[in-house]
Order: sequence, then C-alpha cells, then structure tokens
Amino acid sequence: MNGIRWGYALNQWKPQFDDFVRREDHERALKTISIAGFDGVELTAGTGRWEPLGNPQQVVANFGSLEGFREFMESCGISAVCSWFYDPQQRSMEHLTGPLSPLNPADMDGIVAKAEWFARALAELGGSVLLVRAAPSAWEVPPDDDALNRLAECWSRVGNATMRYGVRTALHVDFLSMLRRGDALEVLLALTDPSAVGLALDTAEMTVSGIDPCAVIKRHPRRVWHVQFKDALAVDDAEEYLQSHAEYAVRQRGGTREIPRWFAEPGVDDGRVDFAAVTRVLLDAGYSGWIVFESDQSPHPATSALHGGYLLQRELRPIVAAESVMS
Amino acid sequence: MTRAADERRIKWSYMDHWRSNGPAGPIDQWHSHRSMSSFLKQIKAVGFDAMDTFDFRLWQMYGDYGGPAKYQEMVQDHGLERIVNIFHAADYDVRNYAPHLPETHENILEDFRVTMGHWSSIELDNIIVMPATLYYDMEPITEDKLKITAELWNKVGEITAGYGVRLTCHHEFFCGIQSEPDIETFYSYTDPEYVSLFVDTAQHCIASVDPVALYRRHAHRVSGFHFKDTRNIATGDDHRHRPDSEIMAPTTGKWFYEMGTPNGLVDFTAMMTAVRDNEYQGWITVEHDKANRYGGDYAESTAVARWHAVNVLEKIYR
Repeated sequence: MNGIRWGYALNQWKPQFDDFVRREDHERALKTISIAGFDGVELTAGTGRWEPLGNPQQVVANFGSLEGFREFMESCGISAVCSWFYDPQQRSMEHLTGPLSPLNPADMDGIVAKAEWFARALAELGGSVLLVRAAPSAWEVPPDDDALNRLAECWSRVGNATMRYGVRTALHVDFLSMLRRGDALEVLLALTDPSAVGLALDTAEMTVSGIDPCAVIKRHPRRVWHVQFKDALAVDDAEEYLQSHAEYAVRQRGGTREIPRWFAEPGVDDGRVDFAAVTRVLLDAGYSGWIVFESDQSPHPATSALHGGYLLQRELRPIVAAESVMS
Repeated sequence: MTRAADERRIKWSYMDHWRSNGPAGPIDQWHSHRSMSSFLKQIKAVGFDAMDTFDFRLWQMYGDYGGPAKYQEMVQDHGLERIVNIFHAADYDVRNYAPHLPETHENILEDFRVTMGHWSSIELDNIIVMPATLYYDMEPITEDKLKITAELWNKVGEITAGYGVRLTCHHEFFCGIQSEPDIETFYSYTDPEYVSLFVDTAQHCIASVDPVALYRRHAHRVSGFHFKDTRNIATGDDHRHRPDSEIMAPTTGKWFYEMGTPNGLVDFTAMMTAVRDNEYQGWITVEHDKANRYGGDYAESTAVARWHAVNVLEKIYR
C-alpha cells in the first residue's frame, strides 16, 4: 500500500500581487480543486496585507486563526495545506526584513526562524513539507565548494529545525538555479544531512533544465520528499539561464526565443513530461507523500485544474491503484 | 428489497454551453476537435456522467465528426456515457413557426419528422422544446391559444415517441407560457403520454413560479431538469421586452448563474428533497448559460455547480 496523496498549487490563481485576495475567490478555487479530485493545496509564501494566504500572520488576520482557515478549507472539501513554498530571498513586511541569502552566514538565524514560523503553521494546517528555494540563480554566484558548503549548513540547520514540528524541509531547484550547473545538486545532496533535508522534485523545472526527472528519482529514491507535477513546454537548451538577471530576461520574457510559457499544468497538449512514467518511477522508488499538481501560471486557472483532474483520475490514479493491489 | 448502498438513482448530465479563449479570441467548444476534447475532459474531471446539447449542432456533427453516432463516440472516449437530451432551439416566427397559430403547425410537424430522423442513430431520452413563441408574439395569452398550442405538442409528442424519445417542454421566462396559471392550463390540455415537463429551476424562478411547488404538482410527468440559479426575478416588461428579453432586458444583464452561486434565489435543497420525495429516477442536467458574462468563467462555474451537487444535493438523494 503506497501513501501517495494528491494536491494542487494555488499559485496559478495569483499572477499579480492584488489578485486572489478575497474570500469568495478562495472559496471558488478550493471547490474547483476539490471537485477535480485533489485533497490538499500548496501555498506560496508572500508578504503584506494583499497576501492573505502568504504567511501565518496574514492567514490569522484573515481567518481569525489557523484553525479557522483549516475549517474554511474543509468546508470547501480540502483537508490540508500539504506544503508551503518559501523563498528566503523575498523580503518580509511582517518582520521588517529584506532578502535573506542561504549563502550568507549572517542570514542563517533569520532563515531558520522563518522556516520554523512556516513549519509550525503547516503542522496546524495538516501539512508535512516546507519547500525552500535551495539556491540563488546561476548568474549570481558560481556553485563552488565554499558556496555549496554554506548552503548545506544552512539547509541542514533548517531541516533539523522544521523536523521538530513534524515538517520536512525539501530543496526546490528551479531552472535558473546555480544548482543546475555541473554536479552541484549531487554535491549539495551529499553534503546535507539526509535525515534532515530532502529534495522537492519539480518535473517541469528539471525538464526545462534538460534534466530527466525520472533519472533524479532513480539516483535519489530516498531523498525525494516532495513532488510537483508541472509540465514543461520548452527546454532551455541554449543555457540562457546563465545570463545576467535571467529572472526577467529568460523566465519572464522567455529568452531570445520569447517562449510565451515555459510551464503548464499536467494534461496540457504538447507537454514534454511523461507523468505516467514519472508516477511509475516514483512507485518503484517506494515514494510516499504528496504529489502536487502545479501550473505555476495559467491563462485559465480553473481549466488548468480540471485538465489536471482529468489526467489524475483517468490515468494516474489507476496506475497508483494497480500498484497498491499488486503490493 | 433494499437498494445496494452504491446504487444511484440520479445521474448528472451537463448542458453544453461553453466559452473559452482561443488564440484569435473567444471560442466555443465546437471550434476544433482540440477545444472539444478540452471541454469533454473538464466535464468528465468534475464527475458528470453525460452531456446534453442543442440540435443546431447536428450539422457540425455531420460535417466535422461523421454524424451524431461518431460524435458520441468521441464523448464516450472521454469517459462520458452518452448524449442524453437534445434542446430543439427553433426559430419561432409568427409567419411560419408559432405553436399558437394552427396555420404554422404542418411546418412544425414536418420539422420534427425530419429532426427525429437525423437523431435516430443515437439513443436520446428527451427532445426539449420551448413550447410557445416569444411572449410578445403570443400575447394576449388566451385559453384558446393555449389549447391550440397543446394540440400541436400532443401531435409532435406522438412523432418523437415513435423514435423512443420523450417530447418535453421547457418554459423560458420570456416565452408565451411562463406564468403559473398559463402553465397549468397548457398541461390540462396536453396528453401526459406525449408531452412532459422539463423543469428549469432558474427560468421558473425568474417568472415568479416556485419551481419546487411546480415540480411537486407535476412530478408524474416531469422528464428532466435544468438545475441552474438566478439572482433576479423579472419585473415590469422584462418578459416581453422587444426584441429580446434573455440578454437585452434593461433591468438585468445576466439572468443565469451556476448552482452554488452566492445570493441565488433557487432553493436547491428543497428541490432535491422534492426529487427524493417523488422517487425520481433518471437524469438531472446542470446548466448555466451565459456564465461567461461580466467576467464569469465556464470552467469555474461548472466546477462550483458540480461541487454543490456532490457535497450538498447527493447527501439528500442520489
């Protein structure tokens, strides 16, 4: 019997800071996710009063308490916030702090404290994984031994801290990350405490990076602690991620080819990820935990969620169910 | 004999209004096979069992899919059972197609002889009609006109019955038979064997007719439902506004909303309780036409409506 649960990331409903702030928007999105066959939601960290689901303080401000938010979710058919994505490079209006870097030892205490803040709330919301942006972009800093050692120290401390709340820390590697270069990710995984730090496997970020997500799972079956099912519509095969300020020039504008959309929901036409194959590899690896569908951004969030639900119900759940019967 | 715990008496169909954005602007699902597949996936994903459609889609089914049976194969490939009901959206006109005018009847009867032949390759439960012309083309509504109209539909019902399909009447708030007394008079002249009632919860509500009470009175001849909501009741001349009431009435730009909408006027809990009390078995169709108006979104409205069916209504009766 495997322990796979299916969630959906809410970030596609909030393309801009002033979107998705009202309760009725949340209710319709949660009901859409629920009826499409998903049980949990993944939140993305945000800051300020227009981020009602961005951090524990804003959740309490909007729902009275974390328990109040959980009751609201349950009234919409969603049982848990399965995971929260935290990027330490975001500022925090709640804490009056600017960007923090996992490469800067002076920032480490602040990162650990914020990670604990999210982990404590996640535990109350039924969640189990804190995703962290594992490293800055490749154009900012090379992944030399010193940088990787500092990252390993930071995330091992964070992982041990969140574990106290029953929440595991999983490194999220995006296609702009310095960890995409050479064997940096392999080295970082080797340097981190395997009991404290795992990997959040994002199928699209890997695919856009030219990395086969199945190969990563096979190499690190015990380190994959969280999975994001997101499709990729293009590959950065010219390594444009190395150019300066790639966040704007490549991720946002699409690079020299002006790729209109790097990512899409599972189930999209012309996607490059074989989700049935990834699911089988996860089952072979004995994966147990959340698989979160994500579109990242979508021109049509409800349709993205329903297309994902169709793939889940018609193709992926039967694969998982068959595996359960066999085992 | 008790029912098995998982046996369902109700199945859910979706009436196929839909709009989405294509690369050149808004499209409906019939734009391409790809957009049709996307639509069917979304309907299946939220748990509908089947779909309804309009009979003006017939020509595209022939031209683009090889006929109704071939189109239905595509529907079935996406995990849906079949096409359950066809809405016969006729071009009412007092010159040649007006049920209260006997001189137009032969034209209408011939229309149904031809239409039913076209659909004979698939199994249908109902062919749904608006039983009267636009209100302003029929007024004043008299007992004579209602009787003449009923006589027409009795004959049409005989034709459709010959194909194993029920003729059922859907009373738009802007058609000539929409008030409670006129509906009652109309059914008193129709033959229950050949003419059924199709309850559209929103249309009756807009016309100040309680759909639950109407259903309870006529449950024995109700052959289906459109479960949809509204936030407005027609006032003044809304029901007889020229040239159109449905999308041009000055008071209300959007009449219809999905089941589960805030501030909806239809009491779906009472409706489903009545369905249970009458031991109705068969299909309930969910509809929310014009859901995209004023920034609405068909996919989201469909998800919210289906969520309501699963999490509220199926707890009453399923």
